[in-house]
Amino acid sequence: MASDVVLVIGGGPAGLEAARGAADLGAKVVLVEERDCLGGTPVFERYAALTHGFQDAEEVMNRLIRDVTAHPSIEVKLSTRVVACDGEVGDFRVALARTGDGASETVHVGSIIVATGFQHFDPGRETQVYGYYEYPDVITLADAEAMLKAKKFVRPSTGLPPERVCFIQCVGSRDRQIGNEYCSKVCCGIASKQAIEIRQQVPNCKVYIFYIDMRMYGYWENEIYWPAQEQYKVNYIKGIATEIIRKGDKLLVRGEDTTLGRPMEVLMDMVILSVGMEPSKGTREIARILGVKQNKYGFIEVPHEGVDPVATSVPGIFVAGAAAGPKDLDDTMSMAGAAAMKAVAAVRKAAVAPGRG
Amino acid sequence: MHGDGKQAEGIPRKERVFQRDPDLPLPEDIRERVFELEEEGEWIVQRVPEPYVEVPTKYGRPKKVPLQHTWHHKSCGQCGHIPGYSTAIFWLHRKLGLAYDDPKDQTSCTGWNYYASATSNAAAQAAVAVRNFAAAYATGFFPLIHCGTSYGHYKEVREELVKHAEQRRQVREILAKLGKPLVMPEEIVHYSEWVYAVRHEIAARRIYDCSAITVTVHPACHYYKLVQGDAIYDPDIYGGQRTAVVTAVATALGAQVKDYSTWFDCCGFGFRHILVQRDFTRSFAVGRKIETMIEEAKPDVVLTHDTGCVTTLDKSQFAAQVHNRKVGVPVMSEAQFAALAMGAHPYRVCQLHWHAADYRPLLEKMGIDWREKWQEFEEDLERIRRGEKEYLTWEDVEAEIPARHFLQVS
Amino acid sequence: MALHAPPKLERYADVPYEEKERLFQEVKSDPRFPDYLYGCYECGICVAACPSARFYDFSPRKIAQTLAREDVELFYYQLNEDIWNCSQCFSCNRCPRQNSPGGLITIMREVAVRNGLRSAKEALEGYSRVIYKIMVTGTQVSPDMIQADAFPDWGPVAKETADNLELWRKALPPETMHTTTTAWEVSEQTLTELYLIWHMTGVMDMIKEVDEGLHMILMDVMEELLEEKGYALAE
Repeated sequence: MASDVVLVIGGGPAGLEAARGAADLGAKVVLVEERDCLGGTPVFERYAALTHGFQDAEEVMNRLIRDVTAHPSIEVKLSTRVVACDGEVGDFRVALARTGDGASETVHVGSIIVATGFQHFDPGRETQVYGYYEYPDVITLADAEAMLKAKKFVRPSTGLPPERVCFIQCVGSRDRQIGNEYCSKVCCGIASKQAIEIRQQVPNCKVYIFYIDMRMYGYWENEIYWPAQEQYKVNYIKGIATEIIRKGDKLLVRGEDTTLGRPMEVLMDMVILSVGMEPSKGTREIARILGVKQNKYGFIEVPHEGVDPVATSVPGIFVAGAAAGPKDLDDTMSMAGAAAMKAVAAVRKAAVAPGRG
Repeated sequence: MHGDGKQAEGIPRKERVFQRDPDLPLPEDIRERVFELEEEGEWIVQRVPEPYVEVPTKYGRPKKVPLQHTWHHKSCGQCGHIPGYSTAIFWLHRKLGLAYDDPKDQTSCTGWNYYASATSNAAAQAAVAVRNFAAAYATGFFPLIHCGTSYGHYKEVREELVKHAEQRRQVREILAKLGKPLVMPEEIVHYSEWVYAVRHEIAARRIYDCSAITVTVHPACHYYKLVQGDAIYDPDIYGGQRTAVVTAVATALGAQVKDYSTWFDCCGFGFRHILVQRDFTRSFAVGRKIETMIEEAKPDVVLTHDTGCVTTLDKSQFAAQVHNRKVGVPVMSEAQFAALAMGAHPYRVCQLHWHAADYRPLLEKMGIDWREKWQEFEEDLERIRRGEKEYLTWEDVEAEIPARHFLQVS
Repeated sequence: MALHAPPKLERYADVPYEEKERLFQEVKSDPRFPDYLYGCYECGICVAACPSARFYDFSPRKIAQTLAREDVELFYYQLNEDIWNCSQCFSCNRCPRQNSPGGLITIMREVAVRNGLRSAKEALEGYSRVIYKIMVTGTQVSPDMIQADAFPDWGPVAKETADNLELWRKALPPETMHTTTTAWEVSEQTLTELYLIWHMTGVMDMIKEVDEGLHMILMDVMEELLEEKGYALAE
């Protein structure tokens, strides 16, 4: 028997936007979120400003969350996980379990949108030796974001504002040894954004970005990269680091300044590692449960990404956001809209011709 | 532990502990391919004998380290210039009652020459390696590699032989002409991995107090930078972020291991440079390593686990004194240091008289009376000079003689 | 900090391009080449880690780039001027693309030696006694090589060792180490096998290219033992 309900798995930006879109198209939506609150990574990791347009992340996410929680056609289930699934497009039976009391139920849905997102690369696995687990002053983009949001950007070891900070790009990405051969797409934009924020909050601090290539797509070039260099005097140096080790009370960063063609050792108060994206635990798990193919990195595989960016290997199951691979917010919101459209179309088609989504 | 950041008051230390994610697939491991090739009939895999210890490596795969019945693949530079290093390794085995073989049917890995002069080629290097492996296999004892360069080199040879069927065929033919089978050991094991595996047994037999001894560790490039996944990384040492050998042993002995900002630098050995272009080696060893260690850590001793590194760091200091550089710290292997801590004779066993940098302050600090020991050794020398003894023997150094399997292959 | 001067490629203008191309192809066709060179995005990690880059005008990144670009002129320049500066420490194996600039240099050095390049001979000047020792005895840098005139910079320990060598070597507990001309006692059978390996893998031909005199001596010594053991060399 066909169902006209759309199931959205994951309550981050992708899931929220997909749920809202599907509901606005007239579908009934069930949104399942593992955590006890909505918002996903931007909320959980206390993002400060979003890269695009420097909008306040909390404000943007709150609007999105409000739209979903206030929507009469969306049923939100927090602290809930998907544990099993069978059936086919138009007629999926999905078992849910609530963390805490373990209460379980089965929902009958017509299509599914996977929006389970990403996790950050753990710098302890990096081929180079960046000392994240040895030095408190080596932090990641996520650590920096939280400090910037709290407007308390300081050296963890002293509690004082830093004088010299550097970013190291491509940590955990573009690396054959680690196996994450892809580019994580957003880190150049985020690092430049954070560099600007640091210069705004700590005007006496010199900021450096050590990079291999600066990935500043489209309007990021003139909205972020050029102002970072021209207005905020962020120093971009081509050549990344191989080791970070303590020297005195500072961090010694060993790299090559490839422009000048010689090894370079510079002392920094803080180092921010631009860690890349990997599939989240939720994404790996849901792929297994739903029987959806993963690519060799563990992300949800999208067979024809350029033409059909939200399809998975299973008809009636769609993907939105970083569960499919490194995505920025633009990608995520676009995919969410496309997934909503396709998910609603799928249940309607199935209602007319069962088994065909 | 090591490299702790200074803590400002009131700032809670965010305890970061690296934990490997069990869901992530482990990277491809060459040992799987080694066994597959055995199944395909390409070679024989010599298994690690029991008892063995499993040690953790860089990406999480356990590695088997045999405790005894090891065929000691000696290091030419060690036996040639720093014989106390090899002697200490043997002495540790004897003290722990672990049987080993010290073969004559062994050539150097010839890696020093290869990396210095390239007057050799991939096939020759592979053939030398597998000839040694076959020699070990014939005795039934498992190869234990004394030198860091040999170890890194053999790891590379293994990679090449696994990847290139043509090279396998070539060396198989050569070995056939020598009447030997093509054998690949299950693991390529460095002696410092053995010392790591038995470090608690060593520490239990320590008789000198090392708690006042400050140590700086120099890890050998060829140990951990070649075929990087196959090296010991221990979550309790440097949070599993730097290779744990040597540091783990020094720590187990109670010494204070201090960090310095050129820890990852090469010693400057250069293979060719230390022989024919020593200004590079000297300048690098002194300028990048020794002076930095002394300035930042003030060590009583520099410990390392490779022939080239001991040679470079020990021998480069003398000339630098002429230029008033801040040098003058003794350098030795962790095997020699462990042996000293366990009461080994500094001259009969550790043969410190072959070392250039002054080691006597270290011995004094450890409570070892070097004058008395030198007197004893001079008496040994006198007896040899007079013809009363032909050689110094293991009985003379009072090392326990375990039931051992000596094979004389000539 | 001045930029390094561009390489003086004109130094090798007299060498025919075909010759440079031939040597390049010899490097490229080594079975290990595809394992050592993927692509290079010029991250500089290899240079950052390299000890020789601190001391010489040397860059493992430039080695990898030149080979990747197949820039034959620059390759020939590096083959003659740069490759012997490498310390062969393989710190450059940290490369995120899994290139091995040190490994590429190993191949380039073999090609230089095999082709008897004058720069290779110059780099190995003063080194022939070491080649002799390793080829003939199967151990390198034996105890009797620590002489004060060979290692004056090692300090008084070099002289003391040399003066007392025989005695000190007898004062070593390991039974195999009472030697002075070799690092340990190597059995004759082992040496026989080693000599056969050098012959069967073309190493003797390589040595002939860089040091004919040494080659003659080596052949004499090796042939003597091989004949004794019943091996005839098909030369």
